[in-house]
Amino acid sequence: MSATIAQAPARKWRFSLSQEWLLLIGIATLFIVVGLINPRFVASRNLQSILLANAYVAVAAIGMSVVIVSGNIDISVGSLIGVLASISGALAVAGVPVFFAWAIPVVISILVMMLQGALVAYLRIPSIVVTLGMLSILKGGLISVTNGVWISGMPDSFHLAQWHLLDLFIAAEPGKQAAVPESLSALKPMFDLLTMPVLFMLFLTLGAAWWMRNTAKGRSVYAVGGNAEAARLCGIPRERTLMMVFAVHGLFTGLAAVLFATQPSVIQSTVPPNLELTIITASVVGGVSILGGTGTVIGSTLAAILIAAIGSALIFVNISPYWLRAAQGILILVTVLADIYRRRQRGLAR
Amino acid sequence: MSATEARAPKRLPLAPHEIVLVVILAIALAVLATLSDRFFTLDNLLNQGRLMTEVGLIAMPMTFVIVTGGIDLSVGSTMGLCAILLGYSWKNFGFPLELAIVFALLVGTVAGFINGWFITRLKVPPLIMTISTLALYRGLAEGISQAHSVRGYPEGFYLLGQGEVWGVPTQLWLLVVAIVIFAVILARTTFGRSLYAIGYNETGARFSGLPVDRIKLAIYTASGLMAGLAAWIFVSRVSTTRSDMGTGIELDVIAAVVLGGTSIFGGVGTIAGTVLGLLLIQLLKDGLALTGVKGDATIVVIGAVLILSILITNFAQRRREQGR
Amino acid sequence: MQSNSKPPVLALDGITKSFPGVRALKGVSFDVAPGEVHALLGENGAGKSTLIKIMSGVHTADTGTIKLDGREIAMTGPHEARRAGIATIYQELLLFPELTVAENVFMGHAPRTKWGALDWPAMRAKAQVLLDSLDIHDLDVAQVVGTLSVGNRQRVEILRALSQDARILIMDEPTAALTEHDVQRLFAIVRRLRERGVSIVYISHRLEEIFILADRVTVLRDGEHVATKAVKDTDNADLVQMMVGRRIESLFPKIDVPIGAPVLEVRDLVRMPQTRGMSLTVRAGEIVGLAGLVGSGRSELAQTIFGVTPAQSGEILIGGQKVSVRSVADARRLGIAYVPEDRGIQGLVRPMTVRENASLAVLSDVSRHGFIQRETEEKLANAAVRQFGIRTAGIEQIVNKLSGGNQQKIVLGKWLATKPKVLILDEPTRGIDVGAKAEIHRMMGELAGQGLAILMISSELPEVLGMSDRVLTVREGRIVAEFSRAEATQERVAEAMMGGTSHESSAA
Repeated sequence: MSATIAQAPARKWRFSLSQEWLLLIGIATLFIVVGLINPRFVASRNLQSILLANAYVAVAAIGMSVVIVSGNIDISVGSLIGVLASISGALAVAGVPVFFAWAIPVVISILVMMLQGALVAYLRIPSIVVTLGMLSILKGGLISVTNGVWISGMPDSFHLAQWHLLDLFIAAEPGKQAAVPESLSALKPMFDLLTMPVLFMLFLTLGAAWWMRNTAKGRSVYAVGGNAEAARLCGIPRERTLMMVFAVHGLFTGLAAVLFATQPSVIQSTVPPNLELTIITASVVGGVSILGGTGTVIGSTLAAILIAAIGSALIFVNISPYWLRAAQGILILVTVLADIYRRRQRGLAR
Repeated sequence: MSATEARAPKRLPLAPHEIVLVVILAIALAVLATLSDRFFTLDNLLNQGRLMTEVGLIAMPMTFVIVTGGIDLSVGSTMGLCAILLGYSWKNFGFPLELAIVFALLVGTVAGFINGWFITRLKVPPLIMTISTLALYRGLAEGISQAHSVRGYPEGFYLLGQGEVWGVPTQLWLLVVAIVIFAVILARTTFGRSLYAIGYNETGARFSGLPVDRIKLAIYTASGLMAGLAAWIFVSRVSTTRSDMGTGIELDVIAAVVLGGTSIFGGVGTIAGTVLGLLLIQLLKDGLALTGVKGDATIVVIGAVLILSILITNFAQRRREQGR
Repeated sequence: MQSNSKPPVLALDGITKSFPGVRALKGVSFDVAPGEVHALLGENGAGKSTLIKIMSGVHTADTGTIKLDGREIAMTGPHEARRAGIATIYQELLLFPELTVAENVFMGHAPRTKWGALDWPAMRAKAQVLLDSLDIHDLDVAQVVGTLSVGNRQRVEILRALSQDARILIMDEPTAALTEHDVQRLFAIVRRLRERGVSIVYISHRLEEIFILADRVTVLRDGEHVATKAVKDTDNADLVQMMVGRRIESLFPKIDVPIGAPVLEVRDLVRMPQTRGMSLTVRAGEIVGLAGLVGSGRSELAQTIFGVTPAQSGEILIGGQKVSVRSVADARRLGIAYVPEDRGIQGLVRPMTVRENASLAVLSDVSRHGFIQRETEEKLANAAVRQFGIRTAGIEQIVNKLSGGNQQKIVLGKWLATKPKVLILDEPTRGIDVGAKAEIHRMMGELAGQGLAILMISSELPEVLGMSDRVLTVREGRIVAEFSRAEATQERVAEAMMGGTSHESSAA
């Protein structure tokens, strides 16, 4: 009863300091401070490259967030993205229609993740063990299939980043510079920023956030992650919910892989080292509790942007990029400590 | 009521999971030995022992950590940091090599202590704490070294990593000693018993007067120290120091420990199991490579074996429970 | 009761259920009339939980019929039970700590907009209507459940049952973890539901609650139906006899023993926020009862004396010597033992064996240079099994498989192995059956007889009054009253616990 009375102010406080707002403030502060030191940092070209190069991380972090909210984790995602990107590139080079070069990896991703989901849901093997095993299988598989050879020579239309929103309106042919009408030229910088991968990131984030917040299926993820037994008694079966979670995760991982594959002109046989770590970091810094049951995908996307921006900022303030990973580590630590502090304030012991 | 109390489970000399492992190991050895005549030779086996020492040393405290229900993902990065500081302090600070080694071991210990301190004092979940230091320690290694490697150590330095004592790779002696010590601690001592109690029920352990926080601090610190030791051996074995050393080794270590039957939920696990897991992984890797499977493809098999062995144990346990 | 004449809403007939090795129910019949509170009684293992799990669709009966409104139904899962309007409130509250009250209430059946999305405003409004209908005004539908008190969490569960239009509400020991005040509010809610025509199946170990609330009572023993009686046709002794199958002379066999010198003295002990300056003395051979509402600071005081949450100021004296207790290890060395409230979490490591649990608090005594001496350990465990009459297949039995009473005896044995001077018992008989309860009470008497100083915390006033030489009452972190055995009556102690404000009388 005393808890009830003490609760009223705490709620207001929580609203004012939600993780999403904190991250927005963090991003804004970073851009202002670094922008003052070096104005080129906030030039639209740099913003574009930050967003473009990291949209796939944010998209993968959406799926990861769903998985972590459900009380699980996936450390295989980095290797899977590598495998799928290679498949996508190989298909494109082999002359498969571009649409299928995009769609087939997504389908494979969903199937692989559902297989992992089945092991977690029905055979009750902890997700960290299942995905650790899958990590080995995929990593070894990737290297032995590609033989470490880089894939190049994909058709131009394969590269999503070349597709601009403006092109869709003005010219049917992608990649070609069309004459921009007067009326739209003022908006050109904005359209430059909103390349196809970035649009994907925005729509997928908003769509996933809406789904997590406003649908029964989305809420069931929170229910299973918060208390699987209670969820079962509410008519929400753990097994089927986890299958759905991993299928959704597979969808976003597949899309992320396509975004990753279609951005450079060469697909390397290795993904950035510790990619899964960066993705998990984005989720955790975005406010998803590793214990499950809470967090949003808007937070994880903002966190992915923040992490990418920090990496870029280091260059602009003349700090060696070799310090980037250390900065990431400190960022997670600070987030987690802040979260622990807030939970104590709210009396949420967990 | 009385019916459920009536039967005490019979204790087998080995846990069911360990039996599964021994069987898999025996089959694998038999098959690999027939496929390649170079596999089952003393030289080859000793060399494999040399190659698995670093993973093995780190797997010892990792077994303890996982038995308590924790995890340490930062060991690979700690190893990288220690390796860098060993080379860096020798080359750039002008430390005598002996001091540089002590310094590296000390850094490993401190790195582990920091993990333990945050986990016990601030109650940061181990997974998160060590994910952040996985990034942080690797970041420090990269930042300090600026991607420069250190080479040209004096000849005597390589004894540990490349030399032999009484015909056996030097570091293998260290591994054997470590296995014996850790096995005895876990199976026979009050410290070992406390680890199991913490893994099953930390609150219950606390209310029984066990020094839970001190024990956890100790095992994470030990984990850092062993990562430092592994770094020293690694540098000595490959003759050079680079900041990416030990990348991903945490997964090899955890795979070996989990394959060895230690439950990721805590409370269950033995050093014998971990050693079996280590042997199985190393010998499979080697055997497959010798029979012509390309190097990296062998890790596919390891992933599959990891999942399979846990599936088999799961089914075996379920059958037994239904049988009661 | 007029309800007896109405046809039952739910009727179970000839229910049999076997698990491998156990016949849990042997032809049990049970029914509930509309607007009736029907109490279900029985010792642990009598089959109560199996019966309610069959009613709520968690288990399926091997044989027998279940009729709803006179029509036979097939109960194949929790889903069917919910559709039939049967809701269950389990002992361990099953909620989502990170989510709001409104969402907890409507999880799985939330109102939707016409587009199929969740309708949050409607959800909150409906939750508010339910709150108002039960006269609950200190609960906000937008609050996160993890921050609520146990009483409020239970109300959320009740709301959830009502939101599904439950006609039959099964409550499994709903008062086990509640404060006295919350118990009274729960009773008020139960009465209100009964007036609305909701039928309630009420399970409790506290017999007095059955006389306050229930219309009829059914007693199970060893999986068999013993009797179903109107509450007004039975009494305490009758119920106990039906449950245990024999007469128990006295539930509270406190024997008078000579009381010696002070063993434990506590002066102005402070540990914010729950312990705000408490003083007390316990003498050798004395049992001091500590009464108070849950949340009043009783368990917190015990845990401060025991070193789990070390004191911030104040003094603790053992045998007249000032001591410093900074950890559980300190307390143990000084001869303080604590049998905690939550047996499963705090008292035992349940997946471990009897032997391992018995030695856990005295590992240093069964080891040499840090090495555990297996024989010494086995001797210790065997001695405990014999001394406390623990019913187990052997010391290698996993504790989890034992009944609550036997588990509690292991906790007791584990701490008595430390040879304590002071024994603090926190809810020593919560959730254990009548027979085991009597055994524990008998042991307490014997231990006091051997000169142990015992501090007993209990939410059951009859237990406090029956067992204690002196009774202290705690309120808001302070000791507010002291009664000798002769002075202590139910009314006076309860009044001191509540702080003198009059609440609705607990006597029906």
